[in-house]
Amino acid sequence: METWTFLMQGFAVAMTPGNLLIALTGCFIGTIVGVLPGLGPINGVAILMPLAFALHLPAESALILLATVYIGCEYGGRISSILLNVPGDAGAIMTALDGYPMAQKGQAGVALSISAVSSFIGSTIAILGIILFAPLLANWSLAFGPAEFFALMVFAIACLGSMMSHNPLKSVLAALIGLAMATVGVDANTGVYRFTFDSVHLSDGIQFVVVVIGLFSVSEILLMLESTSSGQKVVRASGRMMFNLKEATQCVGATLRSSLLGFFVGVLPGAGATIASAIAYMSEKKISGGDTFGKGDIRGVAAPEAANNASACGSFIPMLTLGIPGSGTTAVMVGALTLYNITPGPAMFTEQPDIVWGLIAALLIGNVMLLIMNIPMINLFARMLTIPLWFLVPTIAAISAVGVYAVHSTTFDLLLMVGLGIFGYILRKMDFPMSPLILGFVLGEMLEQNLRRALSISNGNLPILWESPISKVLLILAVAILLLPPLWQRWRLKRAPLTTE
Amino acid sequence: MSDRIFAAVWLLLCIAGLFIGWRIHSEYNYEPLGPRPFPLILLSLMALCAVMLLLRKPDRVSWPSASVLYRLLLLMIMMLLYGWMFEKLGFPLSTTLLTFGIGMLFGARWWAAALSGVVMGGALYYAFDRLLDVTLPLGSWLS
Repeated sequence: METWTFLMQGFAVAMTPGNLLIALTGCFIGTIVGVLPGLGPINGVAILMPLAFALHLPAESALILLATVYIGCEYGGRISSILLNVPGDAGAIMTALDGYPMAQKGQAGVALSISAVSSFIGSTIAILGIILFAPLLANWSLAFGPAEFFALMVFAIACLGSMMSHNPLKSVLAALIGLAMATVGVDANTGVYRFTFDSVHLSDGIQFVVVVIGLFSVSEILLMLESTSSGQKVVRASGRMMFNLKEATQCVGATLRSSLLGFFVGVLPGAGATIASAIAYMSEKKISGGDTFGKGDIRGVAAPEAANNASACGSFIPMLTLGIPGSGTTAVMVGALTLYNITPGPAMFTEQPDIVWGLIAALLIGNVMLLIMNIPMINLFARMLTIPLWFLVPTIAAISAVGVYAVHSTTFDLLLMVGLGIFGYILRKMDFPMSPLILGFVLGEMLEQNLRRALSISNGNLPILWESPISKVLLILAVAILLLPPLWQRWRLKRAPLTTE
Repeated sequence: MSDRIFAAVWLLLCIAGLFIGWRIHSEYNYEPLGPRPFPLILLSLMALCAVMLLLRKPDRVSWPSASVLYRLLLLMIMMLLYGWMFEKLGFPLSTTLLTFGIGMLFGARWWAAALSGVVMGGALYYAFDRLLDVTLPLGSWLS
């Protein structure tokens, strides 16, 4: 019952005309960002985050904007997958496998409408999951002390590190780079300057906005110069736009199963929309039994879309209840909250109910907006694919610079942004994943503070870090998650020659 | 090869960082850990990762061809100049120039790039500075 009151309170926040307009804008921009190949949710959220701050939006409105952009991207990504065979964002890779063949068969309209509806079902189920589980989890984690939080953060970083790439060593190094970058600046406890090289501009630390824009906007621009356009033609969505009853009943099972799966994958730190949609597609392919998947099976469009939207919404749970983001995009949102001096974590549910429940209500509203937008306006969004890069890239560059400049109004930040962008480009070319880096940067200060606080409590005795059962389990899991996959691979490689003999 | 170069450079940076970090010193000591150990632990872990990266079989990294690299370099220089001249030239003019430059680099016709530059510089300045209340520099040469 209490949940119901809070949810109504959330709707009161989200339904104000201002916030409704913000949600609508977020959904619209999100879908466009999702449509554009190369730009995914993390880029969209990164570019808009400083602007939301510069526009002096209140915290709940800023979060609503970023969250609706995030879910909008997950909707938009499917459009270019289906019409162009180029996924608009990483979560939509699987959608192209059956979506593009459907479009070639002249069923683009059907594929687009069924994927919009399955996206809607996926997100709605996941948001209901948030409403049911998030308050319970937040209540439980209120009892966490600094030692438990320290263990939890180590676990989150390990998860993201091992799942984001085939290359755990590089992921761990990326996370460490992020953590190390967070130590620059004045130390909050003692007032000592660390790694500032006597520069005034660094005394406050490296600005979060600068890091995010550099890594996700400037480096993206550099990558865009490299990607040559494949010259594939956009299939026009014509003919029948809506799916019929027979197609709908065919997809019900696949959509519901994939939504639940996507939600649980989304809640886990590290595994995101990409992994969720891949697992959903693979398991539906197995369940179908036939060999129609990959040749334009409608279930192959519905399943991954339901899963990737559900996992995007599910990934809000660790962020809202524990304050520990489970993905790169939610890491950027946590950073945005800290700009507003709000410490994300279990206390948010009791201390900032307006923000938490306003966000949840806005997710529900945004989802309805997206469903309405994404069926009739599909050709408008598809036309975004014809925007030439020579117009798109300078727009991104200028808006990014505005966002960075708005925070401190210094040339130094702009130059640092470009520098970090070049650094990010090199790292990305060398296959270093960026999500662990940004997660490390966001968690760095919290990690250190919790470590120091825990050791202050125990008077410097290290065992406090692993004494409680919760931290023990989390730390063991963290080590296991980092070490097992490479060992497993080595074991399989050793086994492989034996079986072929 | 690139993996090893990166690892070697990173290792050197970590060692330099350890030297700088060792000198972090706080006058008060009312907590057991203090400001020094955490960065030092991170730097040592990074150094360890760099050594492991140096020793193992490097990944293949496909760098773009020389002509693309040249254009990348131009783009980087343009972005740096943009950042450097942002306040001096002001937002409208510097954005016009940047849009023109990037437009040419991405293969636009010169008149299309010039037109979009002027439109972008003016429109974004108007939108942000006037409509949305985000203060942007107009340039010291105008005032």
